[in-house]
Amino acid sequence: MIETFYDVMRRQGITRRSFLKFCSLTAASLGLSPAFAPKIAHAMETKPRIPVLWLHGLECTCCSESFIRSGHPLAKDVILSMLSLDYDDTIMAAAGHNAEAIVTEIVEKYKGNYILAVEGNPPLAEDGMYCIIGGKPFVEQLKYAAESCKAIISWGSCASWGCVQAAKPNPTRATPVHKVPGLADKPIIKVPGCPPIAEVMTAVVAYLLTFDKLPTLDKQGRPQMFYSQRIHDKCYRRPHFDAGQFVEQWDDEAARQGHCLYKMGCKGPTTYNACSTVKWNEGTSFPIQSGHGCIGCSEDGFWDKGSFYDRLTGINQFGIEANADVVGGTAAAIVGAGVAAHAGLTALSRAKQAGDKQPGAQQ
Amino acid sequence: MRRAEAGLFGAGRVIMYWQDGEQIRRTLEVVFNDILTTRMHDMPVLNPALAVRALGFEPYDADWPGVLITPWFMNVLLLPSAESRWVTQAPGSKFEQAFPYGSFEFTVADEAQLGRYAQCSLFSPMFEFADQAAAEAAADSALQALLTSPAPRAISRRDLLRGNLARP
Repeated sequence: MIETFYDVMRRQGITRRSFLKFCSLTAASLGLSPAFAPKIAHAMETKPRIPVLWLHGLECTCCSESFIRSGHPLAKDVILSMLSLDYDDTIMAAAGHNAEAIVTEIVEKYKGNYILAVEGNPPLAEDGMYCIIGGKPFVEQLKYAAESCKAIISWGSCASWGCVQAAKPNPTRATPVHKVPGLADKPIIKVPGCPPIAEVMTAVVAYLLTFDKLPTLDKQGRPQMFYSQRIHDKCYRRPHFDAGQFVEQWDDEAARQGHCLYKMGCKGPTTYNACSTVKWNEGTSFPIQSGHGCIGCSEDGFWDKGSFYDRLTGINQFGIEANADVVGGTAAAIVGAGVAAHAGLTALSRAKQAGDKQPGAQQ
Repeated sequence: MRRAEAGLFGAGRVIMYWQDGEQIRRTLEVVFNDILTTRMHDMPVLNPALAVRALGFEPYDADWPGVLITPWFMNVLLLPSAESRWVTQAPGSKFEQAFPYGSFEFTVADEAQLGRYAQCSLFSPMFEFADQAAAEAAADSALQALLTSPAPRAISRRDLLRGNLARP
């Protein structure tokens, strides 16, 4: 008899009522209409649970810390049982050779049918000797596990972009997952952030498990539903930016009034993430709400982009990013009525509420 | 324009209930031209090819929606009438407003010379626009779509092959 996610949840003592509530919350956080909740419930009741192999390379464990504190109290129980985190060196019970044996067991038993979640990245210098797991370089474990997996989730900025260990001069040649030479060609979902938002992490996993396919990704490989808007676009302090009301120094009158932190180095205008909408700690707050600018932790190479307090002045960094897909390219100037009219419509659609879709349009 | 002293919203806060689109457009242009030459002076986010221009602001439901173009942003703005419910919310809070095109999240704002208004961002900054005509064409099409056309429905392959093209 196959074991479904629902079976596992029930065994963990989660009530049906809580389970259904979790399904509606997940539908909402995915920006799907409430009509999707029964679909998610049905998938969880009927599909066999998929093992998730969670590997750790060079990292600080903030992704795991964020994940196990997923906003809704249910998520802790539901997601952990749903995931069957058979191997995660932060929370698994096994140790030593027993633990390493689990990796081999999952790879062989679930060939082609498990999700590989990677937190951190492998250092490639000196044949990978700067990160040793079970006596072998981490890069070897990563390649071995990637060979037979279904898809890879790159958790956090380390796995997605490299993060602090890859900052110049990057002495260990820490390398983000998608740039590891010789890695099996598998779909990679990047969930950047240092750490990523817990609700975003659980929603990405829930989407993968219930719909059995990848969420729509942008050109940089990030799930569009959470990374298509900048902090700036949905910031509650945005009216102050538009009205030219800026904090000039820490603790001045404007700071006390909660004006815009752009002049204090806020990276909100160049950072794609869901902090200003989903927020942190069960939707309590986010950095800007506590009075500090965004440091842009979910952007590629954020450690090498100068001080957190340097004002964004490079017009190219700031100006051309009308959407995440044109970063690095030069956005064509909008000239002529036809092109302009289209640009207006595109902006309007982008501004529309994520959940405001007709069910048929999502797939 | 009627000014209502609103003790509820802190001393000195004024809510203005607008009664005329022309008056709104003129006031917005004066206020934001003033902001452009004072607070935004020398900011690296200005597109010098653009000017401040307010479009729309005719009554719709309880509000006066329109689009405001400046050299540093383009937003959908809502200005309140006496029937607007969101004016009682604190600046910085968010609310959802339904339009024929769909539902949009607005942030409540407050400016001394304008009183309460609400905004939803379309563009910021504005370097993509080559000239004022392009910015105004974009604003026009966004505003028209917002108030008139329903959101386009994605048609599934199954519906297409079955000829089921009617809207639900």
